[in-house]
Amino acid sequence: MSVAARLRARRVPGAAATVAPPAAARTATAPVGYVGLVTRAVAFALDAAIINLVALLTAAVVVLALSVIPISDALRTVTIAIGGTSYVLWVVGYFVVFWSTTGQTPGNRLLRIRVTAADGGRLRPRRSLLRFVALTFAAIPLFAGFLLILVDGRRRGLHDVVARTVVVDAPGGRHG
Amino acid sequence: MTDVRTLIDPLGLWPRTTRLAGRAEHAALGTGERLLLAVVDRAVASGLPRQVVDRLLDDGLAEHIAERVLTDPGFEQRAAALLESPQTGHLLERVLDSEASERLVAQVLESRLVDVTVARVLASDELWTMVDEIARSPAVTEAITSQGAGFADQVADEVGARSRNADAWLERVAHRMLGRPLAAEAPPGTGLA
Repeated sequence: MSVAARLRARRVPGAAATVAPPAAARTATAPVGYVGLVTRAVAFALDAAIINLVALLTAAVVVLALSVIPISDALRTVTIAIGGTSYVLWVVGYFVVFWSTTGQTPGNRLLRIRVTAADGGRLRPRRSLLRFVALTFAAIPLFAGFLLILVDGRRRGLHDVVARTVVVDAPGGRHG
Repeated sequence: MTDVRTLIDPLGLWPRTTRLAGRAEHAALGTGERLLLAVVDRAVASGLPRQVVDRLLDDGLAEHIAERVLTDPGFEQRAAALLESPQTGHLLERVLDSEASERLVAQVLESRLVDVTVARVLASDELWTMVDEIARSPAVTEAITSQGAGFADQVADEVGARSRNADAWLERVAHRMLGRPLAAEAPPGTGLA
């Protein structure tokens, strides 16, 4: 799609209802279906639930183990710092690994949606990381970065625009 | 008629003779029966039948007879014909429909024997071993997994359909608020909302 066409698509939201597949995905016969805000929010909520459930269980085990070992305050602070860093790494790793391997987090798979590059290809880890950072920034101003999804022709949020990604329907639930 | 009877039996002996013959027959039958019973009693008391049965079993005669009967090609056909015959079916239906068989089944079910048998079966380790084997069998686990996966798929489909409807609705509202009408309405999930 040319730059002018892209701009037109942005100016007239919804015009790209059933867009022809990008170059890398032209083998597919079905038109691309871009996924909207609510579906993506539900998938994200499921992912958040999985992430926090695992983190809580891990934290509970660690805290129980540490409760029987007398440790100093300094060491306690270090342990908390390690726990916090591990949590951040876990969250980042969760999204980056899933986006750059299958293109689907468990939440995405359940909702049958997939994150792909704008040309339909698979995301590289670096671009997945960039998308995650952009997603964090998009959430900071009261999730304003996500509202772009409502008006963009390809239903892209700020993080999608920054990382040049799209979220599409994946009816089979498998990476194509 | 009277003249003829008087001519044949002038002394009137015929009725007496037949009565006498009847008594003699009855007496003979009674004596024969008693004699037969006495013989049977003696034979049973002497252990002869047991010896005969033992002898038959030891010699393999019974097995031989059973084998001959079972290997006879006509036996199977006759058995099949017997089982498939309408008379057998009618007989079976009559037996099953009869009140007597109902009573019999009810008696069997209410009997202590059934309770004891069920209790023994439930208490047996073999039963639970078998249940474990069945529960762990690949066919059963596969069936349970596919059922669970089918349910999860159904839930996911429903949630996905509703969320896509919500996508469409939300985007319509957003465009209305911005004063930028949608180019075309499209069904949910096709990329337009």
